[in-house]
Amino acid sequence: MTIQFKSIAELRGMLDEKLISVSELTKETFLLAKKYQELNCFVTMNEEFATKKASTIASGDQTSSLLKGIPLAQKDLFCTEGLRTTCSSKILSDFIPPYTATAVKKLEDAGSITIGKTNMDEFAMGSSNETSFFGNVHNPWKKGYVPGGSSGGSAAAVAAGIVPGATGTDTGGSIRQPAAHCGITGLKPTYGRVSRWGMIAFASSLDQAGPLARTAEDCAILLNLMSGHDEKDTTSLNSEVPNFLTNINQSIDGLKIGIIKEFNLGDLDSEVQAQFEESKKTYEKLGAQFLEVSLPNISASVPTYYSIAPAECSSNLSRFDGVRFGHRAENTDDLNDLYIKSRSEGFGDEVKRRILIGTYALSAGYYDAYYKKAQQVRRLIKNDFDHVFKTVDVLMTPTSPNTAFEFGSKGTQNPVELYLEDLFTISSNLAGLPAISIPHGQVHSLPVGLQLIGNFLKEDRLLNIAHVFQKNTDFHLAQPNLEDFS
Amino acid sequence: MDQETVRTICYLARLEIGQNKSNKIQKDLETIIELIGGLQNIDTSDIEPLYSPLEMTATTHEDVVNSDNKKGKFLENAPASNEDYFLVPRVVE
Repeated sequence: MTIQFKSIAELRGMLDEKLISVSELTKETFLLAKKYQELNCFVTMNEEFATKKASTIASGDQTSSLLKGIPLAQKDLFCTEGLRTTCSSKILSDFIPPYTATAVKKLEDAGSITIGKTNMDEFAMGSSNETSFFGNVHNPWKKGYVPGGSSGGSAAAVAAGIVPGATGTDTGGSIRQPAAHCGITGLKPTYGRVSRWGMIAFASSLDQAGPLARTAEDCAILLNLMSGHDEKDTTSLNSEVPNFLTNINQSIDGLKIGIIKEFNLGDLDSEVQAQFEESKKTYEKLGAQFLEVSLPNISASVPTYYSIAPAECSSNLSRFDGVRFGHRAENTDDLNDLYIKSRSEGFGDEVKRRILIGTYALSAGYYDAYYKKAQQVRRLIKNDFDHVFKTVDVLMTPTSPNTAFEFGSKGTQNPVELYLEDLFTISSNLAGLPAISIPHGQVHSLPVGLQLIGNFLKEDRLLNIAHVFQKNTDFHLAQPNLEDFS
Repeated sequence: MDQETVRTICYLARLEIGQNKSNKIQKDLETIIELIGGLQNIDTSDIEPLYSPLEMTATTHEDVVNSDNKKGKFLENAPASNEDYFLVPRVVE
């Protein structure tokens, strides 16, 4: 019996009915990972430890959870004790963390088995997974095409059916956009819902961990375990975490969905637009109403983000100095030379570009004009959201303006071209709001995603709205033909 | 943005950009600064900056000793160390 393309809920059933053992499931997962090695979705495999954990569970581990024995992949940005964690960067290519990130530890304590660490854009800076030191990840739907980014390896591993779920992080769309490009479901929770402790920081006021999986139901299972207060993260929310499965089947009759006027969907590829209209009809049949709403400052999201994120990145990445961990250059003259050479050899071009932008935005004479200004506009954007959520329950947009594109075809001449890929996703990071991407069809034989943005801490509603859609459509069941990769 | 500014920012960020990439970086930075510069047209008078989506005071906890001290493990990751310290090139002659 094959385990490929099975959801967490399906694998749970197979394990409970003893159609497969935890050890067999683990073994099969590694066979799939090896078979589709050419996708390049993993940076490091965890076979020895995973096999041991599987046999411990088989010999009577008493944990009782939906995730017991379920194989998962972790984005290589979460520290994992004793397991190499690179952030897909040369500067961390030999880093073995002394501790495990809280989000991953919670999943592992619930009995899930970490299969390996997934490839990503270097330090999560990118929308195509092309900035990784470990090479491009292929989109399982089309060889030579990007899986999206930055959680591209996690999205590709789930889309190829190797693992039923994976962790990702989302600073400007890095869970939702690769989920959309790979035809799977991905959720960015409310800022503070999931602990950031042990996540290698890119932009601390925007970064948030979340799940990627085949279904909204599986995302709910994963989020149930990942969420919660963590005293090690001072920005982790100390509020009650609901069971995200409780109301997942609730009717959406009377739901009010907002369509953002300023996004000019008429400018999109006509097929992307047509797909969006089809999904509106599906929701209307399920009892939802659509209202046009205005967020007057949302068009400023991209410039706001590209001031704030690089500023926070330049500060966070100053810790990579070749002294305490990570790559150290050889033959240096003095301490300053050691810093400069270690960082210059260790970071890739996109990371350097963002550090430089951030350094400029934070430097004397420019701070008010760029950084402070962006944080003021950020408040205007958040106020716009607060205002529209008085009228509608959720907002709906395409996840990305385009489908996945060919390697090297965007952003090489002008980096801003690639930054605009994040147009629909970054505003929810700026405002700290939860948002989910679900597959809703294909355009030019590549998957497209539908994004739903919810109000603060309303992940349960988003998961419900996504799940009801998936119960009435079969887009999430589509599987790529992987012949080119085996 | 000119080459002198690029050199200054590079030094502040402790990064070295090869001569062959310097012009491309200057052009990229100009493009991005132009993108960010568009924010100047938005009226933000009397608007408080929003530095974090959670406008709350960070929680604090009691200052108590716990068992999380992993000095040995942290030093193992250092490119150069002795049993107590990270080693770097001499800074005092």
